[in-house]
Amino acid sequence: MGLFDMLTISGTALAAERQRAEVTSANLANAETTHTDQGGPYVRKEVVFSATSSSPFRTVFNGVGRFAQAPGGSVELTDVVNDTTPPVMRYEPGNPDADKNGYVAYPAINPVSEMVDLMGSVRAYQLNASAVNAAKQMIQESIDILKTT
Amino acid sequence: MANIPMLQQLQGYLQLTNQRQQLIVSNMANVDTPGYHTQDLDFQKAMQEVVNEGSARMEPASQEIAGLPERPDGNNVDIDRESLLLSQTQLQYQMGVQLIKAEFHKLLTAIKEGS
Repeated sequence: MGLFDMLTISGTALAAERQRAEVTSANLANAETTHTDQGGPYVRKEVVFSATSSSPFRTVFNGVGRFAQAPGGSVELTDVVNDTTPPVMRYEPGNPDADKNGYVAYPAINPVSEMVDLMGSVRAYQLNASAVNAAKQMIQESIDILKTT
Repeated sequence: MANIPMLQQLQGYLQLTNQRQQLIVSNMANVDTPGYHTQDLDFQKAMQEVVNEGSARMEPASQEIAGLPERPDGNNVDIDRESLLLSQTQLQYQMGVQLIKAEFHKLLTAIKEGS
């Protein structure tokens, strides 16, 4: 507990939203990728967010451990998972990645929904950036108590 | 400083606003976390404790806020509510700081003019 914990919490959110934007950008960039090192088309990725526990016990425990873990109420990107939607088959007999029937497997990525996701993460990033500004101002005000008038 | 009751109460007030601000910031951080529920503290009750006992005995427990509509992913963070509370709490903190400064200023005046 302290003024600087606010900065840490907002910092974890900024990092998480940035990583989400990165994953979404990768999905957008690879919307038409039919060839990967693992074979088959690119598989759409999704992020998993989870909140760290803010139980009183953990709060006290963290205070003893001195910055050992992110403070309670932070957000963590715990996993990046593959979307299990089957690939979209398009008939393109001339394509080198086509199967014996002439169909090419394309990743099941909808650019519009990816764009909406990207905008969502950008807005959440802005929201947390303004929370960082609020925390900074509060810290500055506390420092100003020391100033003699 | 502890023997000036006004300062002691203001210190408790600042601790309380700071704690509330931290909860608001975590709500904002978890705006996209599925299943997360908005946390807040009972400001009035905790402030009453500060006024009655000089300072809060222990950290006031955070609790879930009832009556907020839940999104399909189980998250009920309302961005407008959190933004509003962020500014409100920031101003409350600012007010507490100004009052503390005024209190110290009084003390300084007493020291200077006393001789």
